[in-house]
Amino acid sequence: MSDSDDMKTSIFGKFQKLAERVDTLRVSGRLPFGLQMDEMLSQTRARIGNREVLLAGTNNYLGLTFDTDVMEAAKAAIDAQGTATTGSRLANGSYAAHLDLEERLKEYFEVPSAIVCTTGYQANLAAISALAGRGDHLLLDADSHACIYDAARLSDADTIRFRHNSPADLDKRLSRLPKEGGRLVVIEGLYSMFGDVAPVAEFVEVAHAHGAMLFVDEAHSVGCYGERGRGVAQAQGVADKVDFISGTFSKSFASIGGFCVSRHVELELIRMVSRPYLFTASGSPSNVAAAQAALVKIAGEPQLGQALWDRVHQLYDGLTEAGFEPISPAAPIIAIPRPDEQVAVAEWNRLMDAGVYVNLAVPPATPQSKSLLRLSVSAAHSEADIDEVLAGFRSLLEDGAPAPSMAASGS
Amino acid sequence: MQANNQAIFDKVCAILKTHAEADTEITPDTQIAADLAIDSVEMFDLVMEIEEVYDISFPIEEASAIDTVQSLIEAIERITDV
Repeated sequence: MSDSDDMKTSIFGKFQKLAERVDTLRVSGRLPFGLQMDEMLSQTRARIGNREVLLAGTNNYLGLTFDTDVMEAAKAAIDAQGTATTGSRLANGSYAAHLDLEERLKEYFEVPSAIVCTTGYQANLAAISALAGRGDHLLLDADSHACIYDAARLSDADTIRFRHNSPADLDKRLSRLPKEGGRLVVIEGLYSMFGDVAPVAEFVEVAHAHGAMLFVDEAHSVGCYGERGRGVAQAQGVADKVDFISGTFSKSFASIGGFCVSRHVELELIRMVSRPYLFTASGSPSNVAAAQAALVKIAGEPQLGQALWDRVHQLYDGLTEAGFEPISPAAPIIAIPRPDEQVAVAEWNRLMDAGVYVNLAVPPATPQSKSLLRLSVSAAHSEADIDEVLAGFRSLLEDGAPAPSMAASGS
Repeated sequence: MQANNQAIFDKVCAILKTHAEADTEITPDTQIAADLAIDSVEMFDLVMEIEEVYDISFPIEEASAIDTVQSLIEAIERITDV
């Protein structure tokens, strides 16, 4: 074996099984995880190859990515401030726009502290890894997003998991902890894979009864739940009790970036120590401006949320009437479990043939090793769009059996 | 195997048997994932069950380091001793 083969095996050998699995997916049709959107036609349509596809899996909940005001704000920011900040807020300084967006977030959430980060992933990484330090206890919902688990790895805190959406299990685990050290409990408002909502009010009660602070990631729920779209905690009447709320600008906010806000002004202190905040370039002017323009819409245009929920109910009711069984009650994320990965892949390909894009979600990215077809609804979907999605799903049932593989349908 | 170890081993075996193939022989060297065909999701349930029985919580890194039955026993001992 040549020297370079040895090197390759030692580094790439661990990916061999994964490569085989990807090859299997490739021969069964398109490669679901390497899809190329050749042209974005609108918030809800794209051209893939020579086919126009309806997008029902892009987390564009309020459909603001092609909103005229949001686009104009982004363009104006480029004209005025250029395309990038070329450095961190520590090294290059914050732009007025970063600070202004933080002020707007404080007003919106009615809190004294807000920190804007470059991505949603980094917002959780930055806040959680800094808040939970050595000797502290970090308690994570078992179904937490990867960025929350990654935050735990970056933190020096002792990390334990509790059963998904179970305040009772959290209660037990908090009771077992030694008295020393701070306690931070992390949950999500709306879970991204199953589309289920956390009982935030119960978690607040349990966490505070044990002297723990509660951190709620509202990445998928801000813009979709609560008065003026302020999220699940607000919808459940406990926004003023939750200690930290994080979110992303990459979904309802039609941009990229993330934030953490808190009723504790001391959150500001983490700017000095949080590595994912300190050691990365700050959000580019166009992204920051788009997020701020979207925030104005989210807070001021309740008809957006109304349109979203009208379409959610249309899709959810249509799917259940057709015989599909979503995992969770109606939500902007609708997850439909399939019997196994093969069936899910074949059905995903058939939906693509019908011109409907949804997410294929398979283990290990899913809880409980489930294979899912995952849909996300947008306020920009028309009634006819949802009918088109439903027609695609009904066509899956026409043979009464899972579809065969789509060997010849790659695009 | 010491008496304390033996007691934990017996209890752990009883739990493992409810997750594994019925007649699989379990020894301290048994690889939980490979030999008992317990996948990562079942492993999570198994860990949760053991946490219930012993009224403990495994830190994440401790839980993910468990591979053999012996390593599970040692992890339980470490945490219950604290």
